[in-house]
Amino acid sequence: MDVLLKVNGTEHRLAVDVRTTLLDALRERLELTGTKKGCDLGQCGACTVLMDGRRVLSCFILAVAAQEAEIATIEGLAGENAPLHPMQQAFLDQDAYQCGYCTPGQILSAIACVQEGHANSADQIREYMSGNLCRCAAYPKIVAAVQQAKPLMEGS
Amino acid sequence: MPDGTHTTIGQPAIRIDGRAKVTGMARYASDEVVANPAHAFLVTSAIARGRVRGFRLEAARAVPGVLDILTHENVGGEAEKPQPMSGGDTTTTLESDRIWHDGQIIALVLAESFEAAREAAHKVEVDYEAETPAASFGSPGAEEEVREAGEHKDYKLGDAAAAFAAAEVKVDARYGTPTQHHNPIELYTTTCEWRGGKLTVYESSQFVYGLRASLAKQLRMDPGDIHVVSRFVGGAFGSRGGITARTAWVAVAARRLNRPVRLVPTRDQGFTIVTYRAETRHHIQLGATRDGRLTALRHEGWEVTSRPSQYNVSGTETTARIYACPNILTKVNIVHADRNTPGFMRAPPETPYMFALETAMDELAVSLGMDPVELRRVNEPERDPATGKPFSSRSLMPCFDQGAERFGWKRRNPSPGAMREGEWLVGWGCAAAAYPANIGPAACRVTLTAEGRARVQIAAHDIGTGAYTAIAITAADRLGLELGQVLVELGGTELPAAGLAAGSSHTAGICNAVAKACEGVRQRLAQAAVTSNEGKLAGLDPASLTLSAGALRGPGGAAEALPKALARAAPGALEVYAENIPQGLPPESIGKVYQGQMAMSRGHSREDATTYTFGAQFVEVRVHELTREIRVPRAVGAFAAGTIVNPLTAYSQYMGGMIWGIGAALHEATEIDPHAARYVNDNIAEYLIPVNADVRSIEVIMVPEQDSQVNPLGIKGIGEIGIVGMNAAISNAVWHATGRRIRELPIRIEDLL
Repeated sequence: MDVLLKVNGTEHRLAVDVRTTLLDALRERLELTGTKKGCDLGQCGACTVLMDGRRVLSCFILAVAAQEAEIATIEGLAGENAPLHPMQQAFLDQDAYQCGYCTPGQILSAIACVQEGHANSADQIREYMSGNLCRCAAYPKIVAAVQQAKPLMEGS
Repeated sequence: MPDGTHTTIGQPAIRIDGRAKVTGMARYASDEVVANPAHAFLVTSAIARGRVRGFRLEAARAVPGVLDILTHENVGGEAEKPQPMSGGDTTTTLESDRIWHDGQIIALVLAESFEAAREAAHKVEVDYEAETPAASFGSPGAEEEVREAGEHKDYKLGDAAAAFAAAEVKVDARYGTPTQHHNPIELYTTTCEWRGGKLTVYESSQFVYGLRASLAKQLRMDPGDIHVVSRFVGGAFGSRGGITARTAWVAVAARRLNRPVRLVPTRDQGFTIVTYRAETRHHIQLGATRDGRLTALRHEGWEVTSRPSQYNVSGTETTARIYACPNILTKVNIVHADRNTPGFMRAPPETPYMFALETAMDELAVSLGMDPVELRRVNEPERDPATGKPFSSRSLMPCFDQGAERFGWKRRNPSPGAMREGEWLVGWGCAAAAYPANIGPAACRVTLTAEGRARVQIAAHDIGTGAYTAIAITAADRLGLELGQVLVELGGTELPAAGLAAGSSHTAGICNAVAKACEGVRQRLAQAAVTSNEGKLAGLDPASLTLSAGALRGPGGAAEALPKALARAAPGALEVYAENIPQGLPPESIGKVYQGQMAMSRGHSREDATTYTFGAQFVEVRVHELTREIRVPRAVGAFAAGTIVNPLTAYSQYMGGMIWGIGAALHEATEIDPHAARYVNDNIAEYLIPVNADVRSIEVIMVPEQDSQVNPLGIKGIGEIGIVGMNAAISNAVWHATGRRIRELPIRIEDLL
């Protein structure tokens, strides 16, 4: 089936199996491999992307159902050699990762967490970031990264 | 630092690969793009013991896009089973019709798309000849045997039985730990591509040379015709240490189709197609005098393995050398069941075995009416109790003292249930941590270019440990460069060999090899400078010259900028290859690494000294008085591991290990259906790993320690030890909160009702 996907401001036309998830379309067809497959069951959060600014699990969305939306992936946050998004910079500064595999999903989830207004305390960040598993267990540093980026994102 | 010359080793540095990780540009093995791949989907066994009588494949073959179906009937002879890193033999997959365990790979379906391969795999019908399986300890048909000394040893000092019988104070208890699975977030993906007779394998690995060697043997190929690529690894924790069966079948599939093949196994398949931490049982007997000195220590362990494997971890190697005791007896038994073969998982021996010993020590402290920290002090040995050798360094008590101070341990009321806060029962517990300082041989190539940049090439593995950055720090330190002037290439068999990234051995092994190659660079530059007819360094002793801040420098301030010094030594770039053989290993051990074999100097097996990392861990738990919900609001870990190359990433590693300990003690267990010998909760919604909201304050103290004996850079390794004391510290804290002594992990609400 032919679909039109708007990813990071670029339109892509491609033919997909109706069962193809947005995750597999991004990774296998558009070669946007920054979005990760960790479980394909909506359990780990590694495939988190933003759809019209809202964080979603791309393994739980069929590509055909993602056609109307603006999709943002990790690759769209900062261009090559361009300044990093404050959340990316915060993850770098805080060492808020180890292996880094869950990191794109964590960063997109963290951006949404701030934009939703769910980053007002460490406890709230922990709660609203618990959908993104990190097996290396960088959690305390992820909380610190969200706290570092929040004022910069809010322009204060 | 041992020799006081370092400039950047020990300074916190942001990861040099960090930008790639936060922008999605880091290419994990699962992300490697190949042209027009076919997609594989595994069919795994629905029974745990028996045979495959046959397949009915018509419905699967009828799915549009299906290209091929591999079973034992059509490809069984094309590959041999893999050789595990430890434990000898293992189970088969497509080599025969035999079923050794539930979830065993029995077929691969290949199709034009992932969706078609998955649909067809679900339409493969299998006729089984099923037998009744044995699931675990105590199952009818499980076979128990004593583990013979070989890869692991037993210890017998004095007469532990008589000393225990005569002891004034005793602990005699049994402990248990569950099956656990690594569950790295990156799935166990494999992509294979043939070009002519040469094979490229993209698979996340902790030992690319090991993967290449085993695969070559399995496929009866020359290892030189296989290239393994693993630039970034999406978590490993032991699961990617040894090769598993899937890899060879993906290679066979790609050869049959004459096309690249990608396998992305599902999360639940990951529970049975790679290894796991086997469940263990322990019997501990401690005898002591009334003032707390140990007189007897007996530790007997039981570990589950597969039918053909002898895999065991024998953590008694560590529990026999923590405390001074004249009478020690250790023994390990293995129990064969109809299960997949277990393997390394974070602190493989110590996580289960130190849980048993360190909980028993807490019980002894209670029986003696003694503070648990003071009990450790009383039993601090002068030398390794098991062998009489000196410790190269041992900072257990400084760790306890600094950890206790930070934690506020002296405010602890020793009575259980005495420290309430509102509706919460508060418990404080502690435990010792220890892990051998292991190191392997490694080779390295360092190239210094005319622009004053260095390229470091080594087939090391960055499994999240910060290896890219540790290598760059070491090279910058030794060559007198800025971190940004060092380019690091790792994770591929085209590079000089490095060993298995496991057992907290890797940073020590690779950084010492990098330092050795850099020393070769310094010598070449120095020799050229001093033998020159001109220049400020002419005629000086080459040994007196050092590299720092972009220049070759002599005593008394004479210096020559690096490009000039380089021009004397080499017309273009200067390239030095070096092999580092750690003390106690034979020269041929580097050859073994190139051949993909394990060659490791272990901290408990050295001739000159026992080399161990020590730590002390303190935990607060809160148990709700009505619901019995268990929380861990804070934990403090103090560790002394010699030279810390990068404190920023080291903190992350220690912290991650401690949170793994929270998971191990309170959350993680793979449940097994005792009748079907099948894992029940084989996904990461039901196999519980810690999430952000489970973790609050984790404090890491890096206790300064210099050890010039352990290896030239004084590096001991830190990846494993963070988890080691956590199980017992948490169980001891739960006792302190509730008065309940829980000796089987994980500790859950139902244990405290």
